[in-house]
Amino acid sequence: MSARAERIGLLAVPGLSFLAVIYALPLFLLLLKSFQIDGQFSVAEYITFFGDDFNMAVLWRTLRVACLTTLLALVIAYPTAIIMARAKGIWLSIFLIAMVLPMSVGVVVKAFAWSILFRTRGVLNDTLISLGITDAPIRMLFTETALIIGAANVFLPFMVLPIYAVLRQMDQRLPEAAASLGATPVFRFTNVTLPLSLPGVVAGCAFTFSLAISMYVIPSLIVGERQQTLSMLTARSFLFLRNEALGATISSILLIIAISVVLGSSWLASRLGARQ
Amino acid sequence: MTGTDRLFLTLSWAVALACITFLMLPIVITVAASFTSSSVYTLPPPEWSLRWYISLERRSGLWEAVTLSLNLAFVSTLISLVLGTLAAIAVTRGSFRGRAAIATFTVSPLMMPGLVVGVALLQFFREIGLRDAYWSLLLGHIVITLPFVMRTLLASMQAFDFSLVDAARTLGLNYPHAILKVLVPNLAPAYLTGGLFAFLASMDNYPISIFLTDARNKTLPIKMLQYLEEQPDPSLAAISSGLILMACIVLIIGARTVGLNRMIQG
Amino acid sequence: MNDPVRQTSGERSYLDVVRVGKAFKDTKVLSDLDFRVGQGELVSLLGPSGCGKTTLLRLIAGLTPADSGDVVLDGRSITAIPAHKRNISVVFQSYALFPHLSVAENVAFGLRARGMAKGATGPKVTEALALVRMSDFADRPVSALSGGQQQRVAVARALIVDPVLLLLDEPFSALDRKLRETMQVELKSLLRDRQMTAIFVTHDQEEAMAVSDRIAVMNAGIIEQFASPAELYARPATPFVMDFIGLSLRLRGQVSSTAADQSRVETAYGEVVVPKLFPLGTKLVLGVRPELVTPTKRENTLSVQIADTMVLGSKTQLHGLSEAPDRLICELPGIRDEYRRGQDVQFGWDVANTLVYEAAA
Repeated sequence: MSARAERIGLLAVPGLSFLAVIYALPLFLLLLKSFQIDGQFSVAEYITFFGDDFNMAVLWRTLRVACLTTLLALVIAYPTAIIMARAKGIWLSIFLIAMVLPMSVGVVVKAFAWSILFRTRGVLNDTLISLGITDAPIRMLFTETALIIGAANVFLPFMVLPIYAVLRQMDQRLPEAAASLGATPVFRFTNVTLPLSLPGVVAGCAFTFSLAISMYVIPSLIVGERQQTLSMLTARSFLFLRNEALGATISSILLIIAISVVLGSSWLASRLGARQ
Repeated sequence: MTGTDRLFLTLSWAVALACITFLMLPIVITVAASFTSSSVYTLPPPEWSLRWYISLERRSGLWEAVTLSLNLAFVSTLISLVLGTLAAIAVTRGSFRGRAAIATFTVSPLMMPGLVVGVALLQFFREIGLRDAYWSLLLGHIVITLPFVMRTLLASMQAFDFSLVDAARTLGLNYPHAILKVLVPNLAPAYLTGGLFAFLASMDNYPISIFLTDARNKTLPIKMLQYLEEQPDPSLAAISSGLILMACIVLIIGARTVGLNRMIQG
Repeated sequence: MNDPVRQTSGERSYLDVVRVGKAFKDTKVLSDLDFRVGQGELVSLLGPSGCGKTTLLRLIAGLTPADSGDVVLDGRSITAIPAHKRNISVVFQSYALFPHLSVAENVAFGLRARGMAKGATGPKVTEALALVRMSDFADRPVSALSGGQQQRVAVARALIVDPVLLLLDEPFSALDRKLRETMQVELKSLLRDRQMTAIFVTHDQEEAMAVSDRIAVMNAGIIEQFASPAELYARPATPFVMDFIGLSLRLRGQVSSTAADQSRVETAYGEVVVPKLFPLGTKLVLGVRPELVTPTKRENTLSVQIADTMVLGSKTQLHGLSEAPDRLICELPGIRDEYRRGQDVQFGWDVANTLVYEAAA
C-alpha cells in the first residue's frame, strides 16, 4: 500500500515541476538579482532605493493606501457578512450575486467604471450637486481618497466572503447557549461571535491587503502618474525608464511584503485555530 | 429579541444594503454609459443609442485581442484542469511528507503581486531565450489559472469518497480509467467552478500579461487600456459591457449547473 | 386537548406554561398547550421527532417566542423577558461548548456574563468542575474532550450560575449506551442533591423513565398524558401512550355483545372480554402488557402460532404470528427456550389487565 501511495505522489510531479520552473524559479532569480551587482552580492540597489525621497514617498503612499483600503473594506464587510450569514432564500441569492458578479467582471472593467464615476463631470459629482451637497464639482480623480474608495470597492468581495464563510459555519447554538447563561446581546457578540469570526477576518484582511499592495490597474486609471504606487513605479522602470535594476529592487520589495503577509496571516490563523 | 439586538440588526442591514449598491454601482454605470449617443460620458445619456457598439467593428486590433484572450483563457484553463487533477489526487491521496506545503504552494500565486510575477517571467524567459509572445503568455496564464483550479479541486477532493474509485476497480476498471469514469464526473461541480473562475481570471489579467506581450500579441485588457490612452470614448464602455455580459453568462451557467452557494463556497 | 394535570400533592406549581401556541410558517407546532411543573421535580418531555417537545423547551428558555399563551415562573410571568434575563440554563444536544475557550473559561462564561471579574471566577469554577469530576481538565481545549466529558462540562457550565430551572435537550443522545446509563444516574443524583427543577427533552422512553418523576408524553403538539412512569406504564391514557411507552400485546376489534360492566370484542384472533362497557359495534384498540400474558389458558385466551422467540437473558419474549398493527406477544421471566417457531400455543391474561380505547375515526 505504501508503494502505491508513493506512486500517487508522482502524480503531482507535472504540476509541481511546472510551477517550480515557471513560477518559483523566476521569482527566486528575481529576488537573487536584486541583491546583486555585476554578479556580486550587494545591497547597493536597495540603499539607492531607500535613500531616494521620491521612492520613499511612493513606498509610504503604497502602504498607507493598502492599509486604509483594507480598513474601509473591513468596516463595510463585517456587518454585511453578519447579515449574509443569517440570510436565506432570495436575499441570500441577491447577496451572493452582488459579491460574485463584481469579482467575475474583472479589475479592468471596474477600474474603468470608477474612472468614469469620479470624473469632474461624472455621475457622482452630478448627483452630489443635484442633492445640494456641494455647489461645484469636487475634484475626485487623481486623489488618494478616490483610489481608496475604488480599491475598496474592487476588493470588497474578497473581504466579505471569508468572513461570511466562517460566520455561516458557526454553530447557531453557541449564541443561544450564551444567552441562556445570562449574556446580553453585546456580551454575546464580543465574547462569542467576534472571536469565532476572527479567522475569517484575518484571511479577508490578508487577502485584501496583499491585493491592495500590488494593485496596478486601479491606481493607473484613477490616480495616474501623479500619485504613483510601488507597482506603477515598477512597471514604469521596466517599460519606460529602462531602469531594470530599480524595477527588480521594487519587485523584490513587493514580493517580500507579499510573502510576509502570507506567512504572517497563516501563523495568526494557526494560533487562532489552535485555541479552537 | 431586545431593543439593542434590533438596533444593531437594523444598522447592519443598512450597511449591507449600502454594500450591495456600492458593489453593483460600477457595473450598472458602465452598462448605462455604453448606450449613450454622445461621445462623452454623460449620464443619463442625452439619447440612447447603439452607436458605440457598432463602432467596435471598426476598432483596429479589437477582434484579434478578443480571440487571443479567449484562446489563452481556454487553453490555459484546460491545461490547469489536467495538471490540477493530478496534483490534487497526489495531495489528497498520497502519504508523503509535505503535502500541506505543496497544497499551499500551488495556491500561492493568488497571493503574489501579479506585476512581480510578470517581471520575473519576463526576465526568465529572456534568459532562457523564449521569444515567442504567445507561448510566453500561455505559460504565464497557466500560472494564473492553476491556483484557482487547485483551490476548488483540493477542497472537493478532500470531501470525495475514494471508495467509489475502489469499487470501480473491483468491477474491472484500471486506476486511470476509474479516475476518469468515477472521480471526474463526481467532481464535476468543482471542475466547473474552478474552471469558470480560472477562465475569468485569465480573461481579466493585466499585470502578468503586460510584460509578456509584443506588438502583435495583445490581450483584451491590454488593448482596452491602450484604447483608453489613445481614444477614450464610450466604445470602451461597450467593450466593458461585453465583458460584463460574458461574466453574467458564466455565472448563470455555474448557478444552473452547480448552484450559486456551492460555487462560492468551493 | 389539555393534559389531565396531576400535581404531586403538597408541591405548588413552580413553572406554569399556560395555553401556549406556536406555528412555524403554516404548520402549527404547539396548540393551546398547558404544562405545569412543581419545584424540585425532574420532568421529561417525551415524544417522536416533530411532536413539538424541543419547541416547548425553547419557548420556556426564551429562545423562541410564543405566538400565544403565557409562561409563568414562581408566580411571575416571564413571557416578555428575554432569554438572557430568565436565569434558566440550557444544556444543548450538541453541548454547544465555546470552541475558542478552554474548559474552565467555558464554565466561567455565565459568571462573567453576569459581570463577575475574570479573576474572581476561579473558586466557583473549581467547585463546579469538581462537582462533575472534570477538575483535571480545567485548562484543556474543548476539542480534546470526549462526548461524555463535554457533556459534563456543559452541565457544570449550566449549574454554576445557580439557575432557577434547568432545561436539557436530548443531553444523552450523542453518547453510547453504556456511557448513557452511567451519566443518567450521575446527573439525576446531582440534580437531586441541589433540589434543582429540571426538564429533559428526549425521544428515548427508557431514558425518560430512568430520570423523571413525571413524564409528559407528547404527540403532534399536544400532551397526551403527563404522569409518573408507573402510571404511564400501567394505565396509559391513549393508544399512542400505550404504544410509545413499553411494549404491549395489541389488537383491534369490534364490540359484539355486552354484559354487566364488560364488553365482548371480536378480533382477528378470537374473542376478548374487556372490563368496560361500550355500545355495540364500537371499534376498539386493545392492549395488554406482555409480562401479564402467559402461554396458558386464562380469562382471555387466544390461539397463537409462534413466529419468533427472543431469549433476552432476564426474560424471554414469544411473538405470535400477526398482522401489523396488531401484535401478539408474551413475556416470561428468565430463560425459557422450550418454545419453537411454528409451535401452536395459547396466550392468556386476566380481563382486568386489559387496556381498552376507542379507535380513532
